[in-house]
Amino acid sequence: MSGNNNRRLADGSTIADLIDLDRREVQLRTLSDREIYEWEQEKIFGKTWLLLGHESEIPNDGDFVQRFMGDDSVIVARHKGEVFVSLNVCPHRGMKITTQDAGTASIHKCIYHGWAFRGNGDFLGSPVADQCMHGTISTKEELALKQARVTLYGGLIFATWNIDGPSFEDFLGDAKWYYDMLFCRSDKGMEVAGPPQRFVVRANWKAAGEQSAADGFHTLTLHRWLGEVGNYKKDDGESGDLTPEMFGAEVSSPHGHALRCIDLNRKIRRLTGKDPEELSTEEKLRVLPPPGMTGEAFEQLKRNLSPEQLEVMAWMPPQVGGMFPNVLFGYVYIPQADGSVVGSMTLHAYVPKGPDKLEFTNWIFVEKDTPPELREKMVMQTIQLFGTSGMVEQDDSDTWPHMTLTAKGPQGRFSTMKYQAMYETGKPEGWPGPGIVNEGFTKDDTQWHWWKYWYDLMTAED
Amino acid sequence: MTSENASVDFFEQCGDELAIGSEIYNKVLGFYHKEARLLDNLKFMEWAETLATDIQYNVPIRQTRLVKDSQSSVLYSMRHMYEDYRSLMGRAMRLSGNSAWAEDPASRTRRFVSNLAVFATGTEGEYAAVSYLLITRNRFDDDHFDLIPCERRDIVRLEDGVWKLAKRDVILDQVLLGTPNLAIFL
Repeated sequence: MSGNNNRRLADGSTIADLIDLDRREVQLRTLSDREIYEWEQEKIFGKTWLLLGHESEIPNDGDFVQRFMGDDSVIVARHKGEVFVSLNVCPHRGMKITTQDAGTASIHKCIYHGWAFRGNGDFLGSPVADQCMHGTISTKEELALKQARVTLYGGLIFATWNIDGPSFEDFLGDAKWYYDMLFCRSDKGMEVAGPPQRFVVRANWKAAGEQSAADGFHTLTLHRWLGEVGNYKKDDGESGDLTPEMFGAEVSSPHGHALRCIDLNRKIRRLTGKDPEELSTEEKLRVLPPPGMTGEAFEQLKRNLSPEQLEVMAWMPPQVGGMFPNVLFGYVYIPQADGSVVGSMTLHAYVPKGPDKLEFTNWIFVEKDTPPELREKMVMQTIQLFGTSGMVEQDDSDTWPHMTLTAKGPQGRFSTMKYQAMYETGKPEGWPGPGIVNEGFTKDDTQWHWWKYWYDLMTAED
Repeated sequence: MTSENASVDFFEQCGDELAIGSEIYNKVLGFYHKEARLLDNLKFMEWAETLATDIQYNVPIRQTRLVKDSQSSVLYSMRHMYEDYRSLMGRAMRLSGNSAWAEDPASRTRRFVSNLAVFATGTEGEYAAVSYLLITRNRFDDDHFDLIPCERRDIVRLEDGVWKLAKRDVILDQVLLGTPNLAIFL
């Protein structure tokens, strides 16, 4: 790790003082300090690629939605078929160009003084230009809305202010091989069920962000109800053991991305009554297709993924994890009371709203060609388990605020979060995928790699 | 992506409005007072007994839109809650169990029900009821209250002399919900 470690907080500390790289500990004050929050706006939310939505939210020319990149509001608009992300700030006097969450407009006109812009941010003009309303000092080009750099991936809209920085592909690195299995597996692609759920949690965004980097352990305790009265209780009504769900492989990344690949063998054995070892990849994928797909969709999977990706999809598909800095994905296979399995596909962005507040933005996805009955089941199940009222995630959103509060105590802020459960295994035998991969019971490595990338970015030269 | 709006249908099915203070109106009002009492006192399984087994329970999302697009300000394509009898019983059981940490320790809630209007419907024994609900929610040492103001559009049904909730649509007043979860019932 290299970079500019010299910048100091008001008390003289550097970022290097907050993270003990040898002991794998992070000081809690990272979750409460306003100065750190402000640096993050510049060094993280000003630099990395950020998830803003999905192109199915703005299918037609002129469609737009309002989203956030860090503390900045942006307009995500479709203009002549392309997606543009413009800073939602009028270059005239700083009024928001749009105050709506979504809409359709060929021209975005500021309600304050009437300056007008196209969906791509181009400045069209001011209402009394003949009386020199926008002057002659600034050119029309200079009066355009500030543009973020945009990329589409599986229809997902990502943007960054880092115009000359790494490509999205470089940012994903080896993790892309696994994300492709989630976002690029079908012929027609995914679509959102609707606009996202949005709610506020009084917690630092990193309390949610570091958890999204594949924290497996918390499932055993915080989500214990799943085994007691939820989907993982035993058929005879006795409490189920969640520990088998902790086995699999975990993929981490030098860029803080993380994926927990959970073994499907027990589910396949239950569905078929056969030893999964005796079944081919195709047989397994036809019996237990990925969320949003039916067995007949195998041909699609075959067209869109490599044989090696198919093998992992049938064996230990990525089910939960994150994308640095603030995205969680849940592409999970949920057991039903009748013995079948229904999938869920959900993505969250934990948008920072100050050192002790985050906006939880939750999109639910289906495949465009998910059969209507399955689609309805998926959306209903996903709402019931994840997001605002989700019986799983309501426990998370009540936990992060406490961490944020303890991080404010004059003693507590110097306590540390510890990531000392370390893998010593390496890849599963025969694992065909790239990246940092470890097999076995969940560990802390993925989350530690998340913090290491946070450290890299926070100490990077400008 | 659809943007169906079920609230229009609700008012279409409302027939004659019942007089305030009439027998049925008072019974329905009593049903709501009892419901608030049960939920505020954490009697979740008793509350579950007031649900019809064919209940549909929805909390659609809201969006800030121009007045001319106001039909898109309540959206059912995405919801904060999307429930049937089975899932509501599941939630009630979870809250009555040992590890529902989002509500253990429980929030201190108070449900204020007001502005009730009751309408006849085309179905014997079923009434459409619109009410305002303000929930105050307080947790731990918070010196603030999470406020959850909303309108409830319900169908209540008299089943063998017992009032049951047959349908509920909750129209929230916040786009960006100011409470960290809906681990409580609205």
